[in-house]
Amino acid sequence: MILDPPSAMKIASFVGAGLCIGFGAIGAAVGEGYTAGLANQGISQKPEKSGDIVKNMLVGQAVAESAGIFALVIAILLIFMESTPSLLNAASLIGAGLCMGLGAIGSGIGSGFPGGEACLGISRQPAVSNRLTTSMLIGSAVCQTPAIFAMVISLILMFTKFTDLPLSPTWAALLGAGLSTGLAAIGSGIGGGMAAGASCEGVARQPETFGSVTTTMLVGQAVSQTPAIFGLVVSFVLMFKTFPESQSLAPAMALLGAGISMGFGGVGPGVGNGLTAQEAVRWVARNVEHAGLLTRTMMVGQAVAQSTAIYAMVVSLVLIFVV
Amino acid sequence: MEDLTQIPQWTLQLFGLNLVFNTGTILMTWIVMGGLILFGFMATRNLHFLPNPFQVVAELLVDIFYNITKDALDEKMAKRYFPLVCSLFMFLVLCNWIGIIPKLYEPTKDLNTTLGLGLMGFVLAHHAGIKAKGFKKYATEYFQPIFFMAPLNVIGEIAKVVSISFRLYGNIMGGSIIILVVSHLIYSLVLPPLLNLFFGLFVGTVQAFVFTMLTVVYISVQVK
Repeated sequence: MILDPPSAMKIASFVGAGLCIGFGAIGAAVGEGYTAGLANQGISQKPEKSGDIVKNMLVGQAVAESAGIFALVIAILLIFMESTPSLLNAASLIGAGLCMGLGAIGSGIGSGFPGGEACLGISRQPAVSNRLTTSMLIGSAVCQTPAIFAMVISLILMFTKFTDLPLSPTWAALLGAGLSTGLAAIGSGIGGGMAAGASCEGVARQPETFGSVTTTMLVGQAVSQTPAIFGLVVSFVLMFKTFPESQSLAPAMALLGAGISMGFGGVGPGVGNGLTAQEAVRWVARNVEHAGLLTRTMMVGQAVAQSTAIYAMVVSLVLIFVV
Repeated sequence: MEDLTQIPQWTLQLFGLNLVFNTGTILMTWIVMGGLILFGFMATRNLHFLPNPFQVVAELLVDIFYNITKDALDEKMAKRYFPLVCSLFMFLVLCNWIGIIPKLYEPTKDLNTTLGLGLMGFVLAHHAGIKAKGFKKYATEYFQPIFFMAPLNVIGEIAKVVSISFRLYGNIMGGSIIILVVSHLIYSLVLPPLLNLFFGLFVGTVQAFVFTMLTVVYISVQVK
């Protein structure tokens, strides 16, 4: 069966849109459910604060939803966008759908954690509910960074003209670019959410430590997002490097493998860094005079946990530049 | 949509070398520096017990960043590194905010800016580490836990530069691409100001702060 470009474009845009919103719907729903669950717990502990808690829950869920909304926007664009029919553009549309769909999972789950912890925190310390809502909003907005990276890669894949490049290895490079950022964003999103959740919990216990806790949380989240950044770097290389034409399947598979390697390699380190950041943030709140020492230890631990993401990136770059 | 990743360039032929200057980025950086000098002038003119608004902001920044540097390093080193830390934050925050003004764009949207600042932090941290511990102790740390881990430790240090500079670049570049695409799709109605608010002001501030904090923490990891 030989595909003609116009029908390939149609197939690619429908498949891409399905993958995009299908995967993208996973994360936000889990995160919102988590928030609502902890809100129930909070209300049962302090029924007279139910108004505040429900308000906070709805705001938190709205932020957690944004990753799902990104996926929805990309899916709608994929269905209705008109672009020049070519097999290469078809590959890039599937890559864009995969990237945004997978990339929305982590941020959706992750941004549920601060929402839930903030609801629970309001029942514990009703006097600081405004500070808790602020902490939740900062935490869950920064959680969206991996999803935003995925969205950027999707938009570049959709709107850049790749038509004058050789079809044979480039189609795999474009798919690989989507997989690399999309998969790597899963772990980073969840990890960033863990750090943000711990910060809401810590602020609820010791409201006066807000400044130190937020600082540690931001640093912890930033380092948790490093695997997603490596994924972004590999995607950029895959998209903007010109590969020589070849009819053999081996170079194409090497490029696809580079994307898959960085993508899966980034999942674990993202979650692992998040676990480190979570405990560090939690204990900064309880032991604020040692915040400097805790942050330093967190950084050293995360640097070690990150080494597997670095191995994955080295293998990806070897696959791109050497093989 | 073709200007998605374009940056104006100017090439200078010198002794057979092609020196490429990103003119837009350089111009924007000079505008930011001019803004900072103006801010410094306004803040320190008539220092008074009842401060003017600029002095309030300056005192706030100095207070916050002195405490942060003191917590991460110690009192003596804080005196030394605090001016750099504070001005790094002010520079980055203004760089990230400048994009909300029409016709201007963020110098941090260019990878060269963030990579340059990341390399600066890298050199600074390692210089501080060698100075604090002595070269021998500094060098032996690369052979921890076992000697054959050395190449991986070196790659790990380089990855720090990659991650710190691509984090800022990716966020600012990503924000501006999303704003550009959304404005193009909905003919610049309603949504772009809100996106500018989020990406320009909020993400810009958070990422400037994160970059500054990471530079401080990298120094403190090397020193201790």
